[in-house]
Amino acid sequence: MMGFVAPLVLTGLAALAVPIVIHLIQREKNRIVEFPSLMFLRRIPYKSVKRRKIRHLALLLLRLTALALIVFAFARPFFRRDSLAAATQNGAREVAILLDTSYSMGYADRWTRARDAARDAIQKLGPGDRASLILFADGANAAVRSSTNRSELSSALAAASPGAGATRFAPALKLAGSLLAESALPRREILLISDFQRRGWDSSPGKDDVRLPDRTVVTPIAITSAGRPNVTVMPATLQRTRFENQDRIVVSAGVVNHDRAPAHVAVVLEMNGRAIQTQAVEVGANGSSSVTFAPVTVASRNMRGALRIGDDGLARDNVSYFVASPLEPVHLAVVDRAAAERESFYVARALAIGEQPRVDVVTRTPETIADGDLQPGAVIVLNDVAVSEALAARLQRFVSDGGGLFVAAGPHASWPQQSKDLIPAVPSGIVDRSTGAPLRLGALEYSHPVFEIFRAPRSGDFSSPRFYAYRAVDPPDVHALARFDDGAPALLEKRTGGGRVLVWTSTLDLGWTDLPVKPVFLPFLQSAVKYLANFAERPASAIVGQVVPVPAPRRPNSRAQGETVAIAPSGAHVSLAGEDGALELTEQGFYDVRTAGAPADASVVLASNVDPNEADLTPIDPKELIAAITGRVGAAQAVAGPRPTAEAQAEAQRIWWYLLVAAGLLLTAETLLSNRLSRA
Amino acid sequence: MQRTTSSGALAGARFVDPVVLARIGNLELVARSVVNGFINGLHRSPYFGASVDFAEHRGYTPGDDIRRVDWRLFARTDRFYVKEYEADSNANFAVLLDASKSMGFGSRGITKLEYGKLLAGCLTYLVHRQRDRVGLVVFDDAIVEHVPPSAKHMDVVLHVLDRVAPRRPGRLGPPLKALAEHFSRRGLLVLISDLYEDPQDVLEAISPLRFRGHDLIVFHVLDPAEIEFTYDDASAFEDLETGEQIPVVPEALAEQYRTLVREHTEALAAKCAELRVDYTLVNTSTPLDLVLFNYLSARERLTRVR
Repeated sequence: MMGFVAPLVLTGLAALAVPIVIHLIQREKNRIVEFPSLMFLRRIPYKSVKRRKIRHLALLLLRLTALALIVFAFARPFFRRDSLAAATQNGAREVAILLDTSYSMGYADRWTRARDAARDAIQKLGPGDRASLILFADGANAAVRSSTNRSELSSALAAASPGAGATRFAPALKLAGSLLAESALPRREILLISDFQRRGWDSSPGKDDVRLPDRTVVTPIAITSAGRPNVTVMPATLQRTRFENQDRIVVSAGVVNHDRAPAHVAVVLEMNGRAIQTQAVEVGANGSSSVTFAPVTVASRNMRGALRIGDDGLARDNVSYFVASPLEPVHLAVVDRAAAERESFYVARALAIGEQPRVDVVTRTPETIADGDLQPGAVIVLNDVAVSEALAARLQRFVSDGGGLFVAAGPHASWPQQSKDLIPAVPSGIVDRSTGAPLRLGALEYSHPVFEIFRAPRSGDFSSPRFYAYRAVDPPDVHALARFDDGAPALLEKRTGGGRVLVWTSTLDLGWTDLPVKPVFLPFLQSAVKYLANFAERPASAIVGQVVPVPAPRRPNSRAQGETVAIAPSGAHVSLAGEDGALELTEQGFYDVRTAGAPADASVVLASNVDPNEADLTPIDPKELIAAITGRVGAAQAVAGPRPTAEAQAEAQRIWWYLLVAAGLLLTAETLLSNRLSRA
Repeated sequence: MQRTTSSGALAGARFVDPVVLARIGNLELVARSVVNGFINGLHRSPYFGASVDFAEHRGYTPGDDIRRVDWRLFARTDRFYVKEYEADSNANFAVLLDASKSMGFGSRGITKLEYGKLLAGCLTYLVHRQRDRVGLVVFDDAIVEHVPPSAKHMDVVLHVLDRVAPRRPGRLGPPLKALAEHFSRRGLLVLISDLYEDPQDVLEAISPLRFRGHDLIVFHVLDPAEIEFTYDDASAFEDLETGEQIPVVPEALAEQYRTLVREHTEALAAKCAELRVDYTLVNTSTPLDLVLFNYLSARERLTRVR
C-alpha cells in the first residue's frame, strides 16, 4: 500500500498545467464574435485558417513527466508493508465487557449463555490486560473499573443477574468509551454481550452522541435463541365510575403476542393478592387484543391490583401491576357574610356537582372557619367578605402549607394592608359600569391551567358574560390571567409557598355580573378549584426506569416531616430526600412509600411495571449496530500500532531519491530534443 | 414633452424605433402606447371580427340550449329553430415565444428576444382589448413558461414576458408537439422565433398545430446583422447555442451567406404557404406597427373566409 509523507505537495501537480498552457496560448488570438447560429456558415466550405494543434507532442510529454516526477519526489512516497501493520497487533489490551442485564435476558437460557461468554472473555485476558465489567439495561453501571484482578471481575460477574430494565445500548457504550479513553494501553476493545434487541438501539436516547476512542475494536456476542413463544400483558388502564357513593374501576389491558402462531391466553385479575376474575382471550399471530373486566369496587386506599397470564419463556412481562385508590374529595369552604346565603348559592351549586375531583362544600362565615377547613389540599373561597387581620394570618399559614385560596372581590370585600403580600393585588375602588355598554372579558391567558380547557375553538364563550362593576386593584399593573375589555384585571394569581391564590375582581353572584348563569361559569369554577387544590389523579402504574415524584404521606396535625422511605419490591429501603422526593423505579412490583410517624394507612403505594416494549425480542444485526457506532461495517476496526523505527521509515521512503534522478534524466533528454527540434 | 391622446396612448409611438421602445421597461405601457396609437390612427376599425351579429337559423336538435330557440319563429312556423351568431365566442389567442439562446442575439441595441417580447406584448394587448382570451407559451428545447389562455391572464402574460431570458439552446419540434397535444380548443397561435432549423423540420414542427385546426401566424424574427452579414474582420464565430467556434473571413463568405439566408426564408415562406400558415419575416429594425398590421389583416381575412 502506498502513502505520502507530505501529501500536500501533490497540489504542485497543478504546475503541470503550465507547459500545456504555454503550448495552447499560441493558438487563436483572434477575437471571438458571438453569432446566433453557425447553421449557414458551417455549410460554406472554408480553408482560411488552420487550427493550431499541439505540436511536438513528445517534447510536451517529456516536460510533463519530468515535472510530475519532481512533484512526486517532494511528496515523499512510501510503501506500507503488512509486516508493519502486523507488528501493531501486539501489546496489552484495555477491554470493556458490556453485559446486558435487561429483563429480556431472562428469556430461556440467554442469561446462562451470556454469563458464560463474559466468563470466557475474562479468562482469555492476557497478563498485562486490564478489563472493566459494565452491566447495562436502561442505564449503565461499571461493576468493575479497569482492573487486572480476574477474581474481582469473576465475582462481580457472578453477582450480576438480569433486572427489570429495558435494553439501551447508548449509555453503556458512552460509559465504555469514557473508560477506554482514560486508558494508556495501546489496544482498546469492547466486548458487547447482549440479545441485541432492535428497540435497544432504535429507541436509545443519545445514540447519536456515542463516541468511541480511535482504533477501538468492538466485538459483538449475540445471545439469541429460538425459545418458546412470548406473550406480554400491557400496563392496565383504569376507568373510574361512581356507583352508590362508592368508587368503582373498570380494568382493561392489552395482550400482545410476539409469536408467529396465535395464542390462547387466560388473563387473571387479582386485587390485594386474590384472584377475582378471569378472562380468556385469543391473540392472533404478531397481534394484540384487549381484555376488559367487570367493574371492581375500590373500597380502600392503595388497593394493589395485578393482571397475570400463564407462564412462558419470559416471566417478567406476564404480569402487570397497578394501584387503585378511591378519589379523595377536595374539601372546600365557601366563606361569605353571615346570612348572605343568596350570594354563595351559585358557587356552592356549581361545585357540588363536580365528579373529578368531587368537592365537599361547606359554608362558613369569617368567624366560623374551622381548623379542619384549613388542611393542606383544601380550598377556601372568600366570597365578598371583609378579611380581618387575624383571618389573614390564618390564611397566610394555610396557603404556605399548600392550601388554595379564591378571593372574590365584590362590593364588601376588603383586605388588611399588613397581609397584602399574600394576595397578588389588594382590591381598591369600585368601578361602576352600569350605565353605557357593559364590560366583557377581553383577554384570557389560555395557556394557564385554569383556562386551558377553554383553549380549543368552541370550548366555551367567555365573551358572552356581561360585567356591570368591578373592583380596581392596587397595584393596577399586575400580571393578570384575565382582563376586562377596558384592560382592568379580572383574574389575578399568586403562588405562595406550596399554595396558590386567585383573586376575582367581580362577584360570583348576579350582583355585578351575569356570569353565574352563563354556561362557562361551571367549568371555570371547577377548573379554578382543581387548580387551587393542586388536584391530579395519580397514574395507576409507572414503568421501570422512570423517575416519579412521590408526595410524602402527611402526619396529621403536624408540620414537621419525618424521614420518608420507599420500600422496594425486593425489600430494599430507598431514602427520599425532601418533602416531595423523586423516586427512580428500578424493580418490578409495588413500592411502599412511608414517612416516620405517619399512620400506616397514610402510606403511598406505587406500581412499577417492566417496559412492555422490551418483550419484543426482534434482534438487530450486530453488524448494523457496530456500523452505526463506529461508522464501519464489521467487527474489527483498522488498527495502527506502535510507530515503526526511524530506520525502517527512512528505508520505506527512499523512493523519492530515485524519482528525482529519473526527473533529472528526463529533463536532460528534453533539452537535447528541443535543441534538435529548434535547429530543424 | 410627449403628448398623450385621450386613450392614454403616446402619440406616434407606433413609429418609434424598437430600440427606443425597448428602453421603456414597462411592457404594458409600451403595448398600450403602440396599439392605441395604431388603432386611433385608423378611421374605422373594420377588422375587429368579434361581433354578436346574427348569422342564420338552424333546426333545433335535442341537446341544444333551449334558451337559444327563436320563439318568434316558432310562433310563425310551429317549428323549433336555433339562432346562430357570427363570431360566436371569444377566441383563444396564444403567443408561442422562442426563448432559446440564439434569440438573445442583437447587433443594434435590441435583441431578437426583446423585440419578440414587445411584439408579443402588443399583440396580446390588442387581442385582449377585443375580449379574447390571451395566453403565452415560452419555450426553448422544452416548454419553459406556460400561461393558459384566459380573459383574465393579460397581466400574467405581461409579467411572464417581462421575466423571459434566453437560457438554453432551442429546438422547435418537441415543445410544439407537446403544445399541439395540449391546446385542445381551436384558437389563434402566433409563433415568434428565429427558426434556425431546416425548413422541413420547421414544417414538421408546426404542422401538428395546424392539423389540430389552429390558425397559425409565424413571425420569423431576425437581426439585421443576420440578414445582411455586415462583418469585416476575420474572427472566430461562436455559436451562441452550442458554443462551437469556427474561424470566419467575412469578405469571403458574406455573399454566400446572404444567399443561404435568402433561400432559407424563401423555403420557409413556401412551406408555410403549403400549410396555409401566415409567414412574416421580421427585421428587428422594423417598427412594430408594420407587424401589427400584418397580424390584423390576417385576422380580418380569417373572419371573412370562415
